[in-house]
This record gives sequence, C-alpha cells and structure tokens, in this order.
Amino acid sequence: MRASILKQGSVLIASVQGSMTDADLAQMRDELVADVRRYRATGVIVDVTMLDVMDSFAARTLRGIAQMIKLLGATAIIVGIQPEVAFSMVQLGLTLEGINTALDLEEGLALLKELRIDDHGR
Amino acid sequence: MAKQDRAVESKDVERFTDSAEIGVQELAQRKRFLEFGDEDVARLAGINDLARRYAGAVIDDFYRHLLSFEDTRSFFKDPQVLQRVKNMQKEYFLRLTQGNYDLAYAQDRLRIGAIHERIRLPIKSYLGMYNYYLRAVAAKLTDAFRKKPGDAWATFLSLLKLTFLDMGLAIDTYIASSERTIRAQQEAIQELPTPVLPFREGMLIVPIIGIIDSQRARQLTEQLLGSIRSNRAKMVVIDITGVQSVDSRVANHIVQTVEAARLMGARVIIAGISPEVAQTMVTLGIDLGRILTVGDLQSGIERAEQLLGYVVTRSRSGEMAAG
Repeated sequence: MRASILKQGSVLIASVQGSMTDADLAQMRDELVADVRRYRATGVIVDVTMLDVMDSFAARTLRGIAQMIKLLGATAIIVGIQPEVAFSMVQLGLTLEGINTALDLEEGLALLKELRIDDHGR
Repeated sequence: MAKQDRAVESKDVERFTDSAEIGVQELAQRKRFLEFGDEDVARLAGINDLARRYAGAVIDDFYRHLLSFEDTRSFFKDPQVLQRVKNMQKEYFLRLTQGNYDLAYAQDRLRIGAIHERIRLPIKSYLGMYNYYLRAVAAKLTDAFRKKPGDAWATFLSLLKLTFLDMGLAIDTYIASSERTIRAQQEAIQELPTPVLPFREGMLIVPIIGIIDSQRARQLTEQLLGSIRSNRAKMVVIDITGVQSVDSRVANHIVQTVEAARLMGARVIIAGISPEVAQTMVTLGIDLGRILTVGDLQSGIERAEQLLGYVVTRSRSGEMAAG
C-alpha cells in the first residue's frame, strides 16, 4: 500500500494509512527523502492520524525520517498522534525525543510557518 | 423483627465474620486468652433457671435507668425500636446462661452489636449497659448463694469472663463500621473528577487535588489527552498545589503525561510546586528534566500566556469603578 505524498508549495505532506506494514513504512520513508531532494522541499509533515498503533518499528522509522530530512536541510513535523496512541507510546518509552510534533495538519503547517519554513520564507 | 432488617443484619454479620478476623479459631483463641473454659460454662449453665426468674426485672430496671438519661433517651425515641431492643436485650441476657458459647453465639453477639452501632448508640452507653448487668446480677447471685458465697463469687467471675468476650465482639462491630466508612470515603475521594478547564484559546488548566495513584493518574492523562484534541490546546498548565505529596511514582506519572501531551503538540507547565514539595523532590533526587515548573498557578498561567503570545494589560480603572 502506497503512502500518499502531496505537495503544497515547498511543503510535502505524507499521510500514513492505518494498515501500512513495516515494509510500506520503510518505502514511504525512502520516497519522502527522494521527494525532498527532487522538489527541494523545506518542510515535511507526516500525518499519522490514521495510525491506531505505534510500535517501536514505526517509531524508529519516523525518527529516521525526521533525521534524514534534517540532514537534507528541511524540517519534519509529525502530526496526528491520537490520545490512545500517545498514551501507549509513552508507556513503552517511545517518546520521539527531539522530533517536532503538532496536533494535526493545520497546526503542523502553522508550526512550520513559525519555524519560518514555508513557501514565502524560501 | 421485620424480615428486611434481618436480611440487612445478616449481611453485616457475614461481611464481618467473612473477614478472617472472627472465625472458629479466633473465637477459641479469645476464650483461651480470657481463660474461659468448661468450668465457666458449667457454672453459667447452672444459674440458667435463676436467670430466667429475674431476667424480666433486671431488664425493666435497666431500661428505667437508661431512660433517665437525656442522651440515651434520645436513642430510644421510637417505641418500636425500644420494644425491639428490650426484647433482644432479654434474649441476650438469657443467652448468657444457656451454656453454649459457640460460633453461632459469637455471630449473634456481632449482630446485636451491629444493630446498636446502626442506631448510633455510643460505645460508652453500650459499656454502661454491661456494667449495669454485672452489678444487677452480682446482687442476685449474692442473694441466691447466701449459703455458699464462694460459689457466688466463682459464678460471678465466669460471668465476668463471658461479658468481656461479648464486649470485645461488640466493640469489634463498631470498629468494623468505622473502617467501612473510612474505606467508602477513600473511594469517594479517588473518584473525584479532575476537571480539565479550557482557559484561553489554546490553553488548558488542570487543577489536581488530593492523592495521585496509578489509577487516577491514568484517568487524568486520558482525560487530558482527549481535551488537548478537542480543544486544540497548545499549552497545558497542570496545577499541583492541592497534591499532598510528590514521590518518585507521582513524578513518573507527571513525566509520562507531559511526554504524551508533547506527542500531541502541547507543552505542559507544572505549577504549584510548594517549597516542601521542592524539598522532597530534591531529597529524593527526582528530576523532571526539561519540564517547565513554576511555584504557583498565577506564574504558570502567565508563562503559558506568554508562550502563546498573549499580552495581558490592565486598564487603569477596570469596570469596578462603575459602582
């Protein structure tokens, strides 16, 4: 199952589907990184609203995405972690330390603006 | 006695005798401790006929004495209750000399204790009753055993042992009732809801009062995370002014809550850290890491507003001057 990656100006928005396997996640990571390069994106929002469960593989993959994107000079923000998912994540010690987070897509875009990475700031 | 009353009472007794405290073994142990044995049983059974003869008179005298006092009179205002208790008292009295003091006997004593406790008769009155009995019976025994005063004394001592056994059981029911109340109150405190209050747009205040145990912490966190989503909150001020103690367990709960909130894009300020709590945390080596903490709620709110970009100003007169 392919992840959907949309482009909005210099921001890429990737939506994780609920039923993505570990392989799908890894593929999404690779595509995102390639797209950041191809489109010279400055911001990436990974929307995990549809994810009901965040296990350690998914968490590691998200961290990997954020770190790689940072290396490419862009900013990643994870949005849409649901209350139940957030709760079980901290109990498992998966805190996504050091990675930007926001409530949802709207807040994520606002945060990118704040961090001065948007179409106009380019 | 009404059927309903009996059902309620036997529930009380079951609950009480269910708790490992009073069982066959415990009863036997208490008898041993009071040195109440077969000879005592025999002596008491021996005055059963005598007891039957004077029971009525003793009970009537006792209630005359009881009702002469203002505070005990108020307990027996209801004539139905008074008659019921008088009848029970007579049964109780006669039971003392029936010569069989097994578990059923103990359960019966507990039942009576529970009834007195339920009508909220104070322990002192209950003990006063026993005191009256013993003196009334002592007088009767002296009379009946005029030719053998030694026997009167021995019988009286046996009766004394038995009444102490009874008093122990009665007091136990009073204590059990207090403990039940305490437990119920504790549960009620646990269930006090913790409100999550939207304060400004994007800000939530969570005042916590009382004890935070794992269950409450979990409830709180779930509630908070749900509110962050529905209120689209970016700042949360958790006020722990009303939390009595913060140990490492509580600190852990706080840290987890803050981390979970962050995953949802909200920042948390812990407000209301008192000097005592600060002291405890330093002594216990509790480190909240990079979690923002402030001394009182006002500072917490001001800080949150600042981070959200609010600027709060005060006009010189406000609206109070409008009288």
